[in-house]
Amino acid sequence: MLQFLLDTLARTADLALIALGLSLVYGLAKFPNVAHVQYAMLGAFVAVALQRSGCPLPLAMVASCLAMGCLAVLLHIGVFRRLLRSGPAIAMIGSLALSMIIGALVLGFAGSSPLSYRLPIEAPLSLGEAMLARSQLLSMLTTLVLLVLFAIVLFKTRLGRSMRALACNAPLAAAAGLNADGITYWVNFMSGALAGLGGSLLAMNTSAYTNLGSDLLLPIFAAAILGGLGNPLGAVLGALLIALTETLVTNLNIGWLYGQAMAFIPVGYIGAASFLMLLLALIFRPYGLFDREVRRV
Amino acid sequence: MNALLKVTGMAKAYGGNQVLASVDFEVRPGEIIGVIGPNGSGKSTLLNAISGFTPIDRGEVLLQGRPLQGMPAHRIVEQGLARTFQLPSMPDKMTVMEVLLAASTTAHGFWGSLLGSRANREAERAGRARAEQLLDELLLRKVRDNAAAALSGGQKKLLSVACALMGKPQLLMLDEPTAGVHPNLRRDMIQTLQHLNRQGLALMIVEHDMHFIRDLCHRCIVLDRGQIVAVCTPAELSSNEQVLEAYLGRGTRHPKEAIA
Amino acid sequence: MFEFCLHVLTLACIYGLIALALNLQAGYTGLLNFGHIAFVGIGAYAVGIGHLAGWALLPSLIAGVLAAMALAWLVARLGRNLASDYWGIATLAVAEIVRIIALNQDSLTGGAQGISALPGLFAGASNAHQNLYTTLLLMVLTALFAVLSVRLANSRFGRALRLLREQPQLASCLGYDLLQLKSRALMASAALAALGGALLASYTSYVSADYLLAAQTFLVWSMVMIGGLGSVRGVLLGALLVQCAYSFVPFAKDYLNIGSDVAGALRIGLVGVILLVCLLWRSGGLLPERLRVMP
Repeated sequence: MLQFLLDTLARTADLALIALGLSLVYGLAKFPNVAHVQYAMLGAFVAVALQRSGCPLPLAMVASCLAMGCLAVLLHIGVFRRLLRSGPAIAMIGSLALSMIIGALVLGFAGSSPLSYRLPIEAPLSLGEAMLARSQLLSMLTTLVLLVLFAIVLFKTRLGRSMRALACNAPLAAAAGLNADGITYWVNFMSGALAGLGGSLLAMNTSAYTNLGSDLLLPIFAAAILGGLGNPLGAVLGALLIALTETLVTNLNIGWLYGQAMAFIPVGYIGAASFLMLLLALIFRPYGLFDREVRRV
Repeated sequence: MNALLKVTGMAKAYGGNQVLASVDFEVRPGEIIGVIGPNGSGKSTLLNAISGFTPIDRGEVLLQGRPLQGMPAHRIVEQGLARTFQLPSMPDKMTVMEVLLAASTTAHGFWGSLLGSRANREAERAGRARAEQLLDELLLRKVRDNAAAALSGGQKKLLSVACALMGKPQLLMLDEPTAGVHPNLRRDMIQTLQHLNRQGLALMIVEHDMHFIRDLCHRCIVLDRGQIVAVCTPAELSSNEQVLEAYLGRGTRHPKEAIA
Repeated sequence: MFEFCLHVLTLACIYGLIALALNLQAGYTGLLNFGHIAFVGIGAYAVGIGHLAGWALLPSLIAGVLAAMALAWLVARLGRNLASDYWGIATLAVAEIVRIIALNQDSLTGGAQGISALPGLFAGASNAHQNLYTTLLLMVLTALFAVLSVRLANSRFGRALRLLREQPQLASCLGYDLLQLKSRALMASAALAALGGALLASYTSYVSADYLLAAQTFLVWSMVMIGGLGSVRGVLLGALLVQCAYSFVPFAKDYLNIGSDVAGALRIGLVGVILLVCLLWRSGGLLPERLRVMP
């Protein structure tokens, strides 16, 4: 039972920050940015590369965050702002093109074999019967700290209020004097940084590999949509739900269906379970589980 | 005489706001009815409710005795009730002629279109003939091959009327047809609508422009805060107490008093 | 060299069919289907599974087309209340589910290894002739479906779709049942895509879950966007261009002396760059859809 809980939390931590970033920027940009998961992938590679060349781990991660944040802002200014003028569909396809380009660049420069941190191998921690890798613990703690920080920013600062106002009604907010452009840059920066951090943390468990982004695409979108797009903290709960589904699917003993003592759904179907969850959510609650006024569907 | 359209007990509330409260009226065949009332009186909601774009809480809508309430919008059109929108937006990759032809039939004929069957060709020919006729009647001949989205506001309104007419409806509902339309075009619109009315088309027009109503309508329905406060001819409007009250507020007996 | 060009041409024709299918959904009807590849994969796997079960090509093909159409019917219902970008993600999820099933059901689909040694289209003829006949057949099929696509676009059905694409409220108001229209467009598109998939499996003698990767859908989208969404000539041009870029890079690998990773990266990157440039510069595509003036 404890193992189940730990597995779920660990997976939630993997997804939460990246999903948070996506939801944040979706509320503002009004189009699904498929390239978002590539920021995670690229961030992972940057952090790993820095760490392997001697940089201490925390510094490498921070540098990767900043780099991804800046990249997100640059791409917003250079590409997405222009494409959005032709509509969200074109912007989405543009994000697709960028996703391909980023993937190609990383594949070309880093090769197709995964790259991992140069970290000493440590024994996993054991809590009673359950096991937890140190990297997973670090990931969960970092995610928690960041979520708390983000919640504070969103609800207690002026920037956070402006972000929420802008996400609700951009023209009105701008007419009320908010610096829409400036806030948009900040939001893009934050979402890129969060994705980069999420990727770097993930790479501690799975190492940085070129398909890291595309493997995350649907779970992240599922988490963000379940939480209600534009509801960043909802995305975290969405991530929890996806993680729960995935852990449940593989731990569920369906032996009774076959008259055997033990039988489990094959590991390969983990993804299918969460995607099915997404489809069900879209059919029955297209506005997300936490039905808010921000309606785009 | 049997009513063409009969609405009984229609009610609709949005949250706590009762937008329509038990509306009853009827439209007789060949009649032109104007629906007027101050802003927020529920005119647009009434139109949307009858045409199936807004679900209603209670009430019955009968078109020649056939119930329409609860039907999806596209099926109501099939029954003979057409409508236009206040701000008609038109596709920009289709010409005016194409939009008209798209309005010509509700059956989309996938196999007919693909294989070019005789039935399909006949329908095309009939559709084209009707479209050409409507282009002339609604003064859109010059813009036949232009992109529909590039038309002026007034022309788009005429186009949306033409589209609604392609299906040969018995009753056409117009949502503020003269808003933003040039006075010359307004005159032409009146003449065209009268001409169509003489051919048997009944009209229900939601409007703010009193001159338009006076020149065109046989009868007027006045809505205020979701209820019908008066049903009279256009000539009787300015002397009707309820109408004045609706527009000018309680305690007004005559416009002159309000000013004095 | 001639053999290679023939190969590229054949693939371009197959992808041309798949792109024409996507054009029907995305170009004419405005449906952002990012799971299009599921229809292709179903067609391909139908041929593979049919072969394993001892069926001839034609019955397998028909089974695949029907299965794809059934999926399309379901997917159309999924889109009833969803905005287009949400629906796009939902279709992506559907395609991924199909891929995961294909990957894991070893007994049925051969799992990760797929099904190989499928007989080609003209199994009787000699090898060189086989390729030539296949190419010719595919060119004929591509031309046929291109003509049918154009005819459909200019017909009553096509006009209905285009109206739905741009002004769904107006379409409703003129009496069109939007769900039925979307459903028909999707089912027709799925049928054509499944045909393309079946031909792909036959031509390459192989089918695996890799055919169902999201990257494949994105590739077809690139073809359609680069060429011109909504225009048949554009879509075919896009298919040819992208397929050329995609095929020539690994071909030139030896000349340019680059590793296979770099070659793989280069081909995807090249398509991505062309797509981005097209979107920024000519978002309608190289041969954009034009107004159709009636005589």
